[in-house]
Amino acid sequence: MESTAPSTAEASFVITKARTRVFGLSWDEVIQFFFAGNAAVAVVVLALITIFLFREGADFFRLNSSQNLAVYREAGLEYVDIVRDQEKDHAALNRYLADVRLQALKYYRKQGLTYPEAAAKLAAFDDYAGRYSDAIEPIRSKISDWSDFVTAIKTKFGVRADQLAEREQLLAAGKTAEAAKVKIDVVDARKELQPVLDDRASYQEAAQQAAQQLTALARQLPEAPTPELQKRLQRFAELTRQYVATFPATEKKLETWDATKPIPFYVSVTSFLFGREWLTASFWQDWYGILPLLVGSLMVSAVALVLAVPLGVGAAVYVNQIARPFEQRWIKPVIEFISAFPSVVLGFFGIAVLGEALRKLSQVPWLSGLPGFPIAERLNALTAGCLLGLIAIPTIFTLAEDALNNVPRSFREASYALGASRLQTIVKITIPASLSGIISAVLLGFGRVIGETMVVLLCAGNRIAIPDFSAGLGAFVQPVHTMTGIIAQEMGEVVRGSIHYRALFMVGIVLFFLSLLINYAAQKIVRRYRISGG
Amino acid sequence: MADREINPFATQATWFPRFEKGVFWIFRLATYAVLLSGFAVFGTIVVKGAGTVFTTRAPFLNVAFLTQAPETLYVFEYDGAKHELGAKDYRAFRETEEAKAKAAGKPAPKFESVESIVYSSGGIFPAIVGTILLVVGSMAIALVLGVASAIYLSEYAKNGPVVRFIRLAIINLAGVPSIVFGLFGYGMFVIFLGWNVSLLAGWFTLAFMVLPVVITASEEALRAVPRGFRDASLALGSTKWQTIRKAVLPYALPGVLTSSILGVARVAGETAPIMFTAAYVVRDRLPWQVSQVSDFFFQGVMALPYHIYVVSSKIPQNVYTERVQYGAAFVFLMLVAAIATGSILLRNRLRGRYQW
Repeated sequence: MESTAPSTAEASFVITKARTRVFGLSWDEVIQFFFAGNAAVAVVVLALITIFLFREGADFFRLNSSQNLAVYREAGLEYVDIVRDQEKDHAALNRYLADVRLQALKYYRKQGLTYPEAAAKLAAFDDYAGRYSDAIEPIRSKISDWSDFVTAIKTKFGVRADQLAEREQLLAAGKTAEAAKVKIDVVDARKELQPVLDDRASYQEAAQQAAQQLTALARQLPEAPTPELQKRLQRFAELTRQYVATFPATEKKLETWDATKPIPFYVSVTSFLFGREWLTASFWQDWYGILPLLVGSLMVSAVALVLAVPLGVGAAVYVNQIARPFEQRWIKPVIEFISAFPSVVLGFFGIAVLGEALRKLSQVPWLSGLPGFPIAERLNALTAGCLLGLIAIPTIFTLAEDALNNVPRSFREASYALGASRLQTIVKITIPASLSGIISAVLLGFGRVIGETMVVLLCAGNRIAIPDFSAGLGAFVQPVHTMTGIIAQEMGEVVRGSIHYRALFMVGIVLFFLSLLINYAAQKIVRRYRISGG
Repeated sequence: MADREINPFATQATWFPRFEKGVFWIFRLATYAVLLSGFAVFGTIVVKGAGTVFTTRAPFLNVAFLTQAPETLYVFEYDGAKHELGAKDYRAFRETEEAKAKAAGKPAPKFESVESIVYSSGGIFPAIVGTILLVVGSMAIALVLGVASAIYLSEYAKNGPVVRFIRLAIINLAGVPSIVFGLFGYGMFVIFLGWNVSLLAGWFTLAFMVLPVVITASEEALRAVPRGFRDASLALGSTKWQTIRKAVLPYALPGVLTSSILGVARVAGETAPIMFTAAYVVRDRLPWQVSQVSDFFFQGVMALPYHIYVVSSKIPQNVYTERVQYGAAFVFLMLVAAIATGSILLRNRLRGRYQW
């Protein structure tokens, strides 16, 4: 029909309109494509974030295993660390002994002895502790000798890496002749390390000596004032015997240790994901383990959520269900206003006011029973967590309030009609009906908190170590470092393209996927458990 | 007993009403605890910061703090009195005193226990300017992209897998931590595109970060325009685009703009994304002092949130630094608060304006 019509229908009635065509599309279609293109920006940005994070960060695993960890092994640092671990175990036993001494001292003080008197009573104990500590001296001196030796080899590797980098730069700049002139040192690590390996016999001797002394010391325990402490000393002797029993294993490790064994790729991955140390620019060995940062982030978030969930959800329930309309009208905007507080201002508030205030509070005598009180450090996980709580509350409040608002009126009315009171209706009907929304609100609050940077950078204390969980809840008043904080702090100082730089991008990748995961979970929960209003 | 005989349905006196009241009080206390902690933070900054920004004498405003660049503060003892002077004044003071002493034939004067503290004198003018530039530029980009995106989603798109995917991306983008945006901006704009630390890099980083907020707000505003408007326009023979331009956008625009102001507050308040993309710790020249127009876009700027970070973490906390720390925090908080309050008030007013 369309094909036959035009030739005959030149009548005055036909509406003729010039159609602009761009690439065969009508003008309206062009406009539609323009808008569709803009809508795709969100997808594109998400893709770009992924691409560029990986572009900068993905090389980390390769570089870490082929340079950082490879040098660690080839230069023999790993070899020395085997012995160093042995020494560290001994140090732990020393701390055990020191703790017993502290208990004994406390006991004597309680008995009414003066300080010098108590110290005099403990003289024999101190002598024993001194001998115990010195027992491992031969091993210690071996460690220090070897350390100097292997760090020298490591320096040679460093020089070589610099030379390679220089040549690479010259080549990239097109200066082939000059690049050829750059002298690249050859590091024969095997030969260089041989003296240390040959020294194993003398280590064995030292270890034997130490083992003998320790076994002897385990037999002649000092006196302890109470039976309980005596028991602890018995336990100490047992621990010492166990420790000495590990000596052959260490020797075996040294014997089978092989500098030429290649480092498998997965070690680089596991040392990042499960590494307990984040140590950079160290003279000994750099470690990029995300665990201390992850633990720090989670601890700070835990504090924040413990505060924000009851307060945020409580406020939402109050405003939505209990408050009078007048209260509703002003409380909601005020909480929305709190959400507009810039995080850097909150961080400054933490440094200037809250940190000190919390420490003062912790010194109040009748609060000293709380775990971790009095607080030693002004800036710690608790300070940062409190402020992050304030950041999370508006998020949780707004979303939870929405969820409560979406509960159909008929639910509540049915409940009232059955004779339930307001509280019963809230607890048994309204909250369960909106639970999925509330949980997703909490999850999104968690996402907001774990991605927050400035507050933790300023207030968390920035000590890169897994807190000492033996202090129980007291671990929460220790300073921590976080994933977001470490990126913000170290990104400005690293050399572009170095392993450290790429490690920071890896932390960013972890953070990125963590946030996606949290978001996804929040949506899933809302969809899955949504209650229909019908 | 007597009551029941008269009215058998009367409520019995039990513990429950009192218990219920108690529980309600717990909820009330939780709410007021939140409000109180908000006020505590706000109040502290306002009370301590107002001392820097306002003065007791006319013009009641510390003009120098708002219009000067940061300077190093010198604290020293001279002639038995304690002086606090900015770097320029200190040098001038020293020269005149030395000249005076020379003229009088006395030995050179002694400046004792000189202590210098960076950034603690002068003002925060460059930081304010930088923040305004960053906000204006990034919001312009975000509004263009965001409104266009919202128009597609609310006017053109039919619910299908593609649109669902786009929505999923928007929701997920909203949850990405700001520091990750900073890393992304650094990797893409600063390094890959070679823009270095610049306004342009900061604009795009911030614009992408705030995009989900703008899209969601705009879509809500567009959807609030009644269907009948569109149907009437289409029935009169106008095209889709004409309908959108003449019958939808004019009515949605106020809503789009006011809701997007919340996005402005977020952009202005963020520090992490601009740390590696746009912000300098200190910069002598102001943004418009450039030799070429193109240089304007490729220069880094000072920004208020970053300046607050620098003065609160890189210099000690004492009486001399308090002035600039609280002052900067106060100005910044006021700026963001004004934006946020403005948007909330405007929205409440607009809600009642169009009655459909």
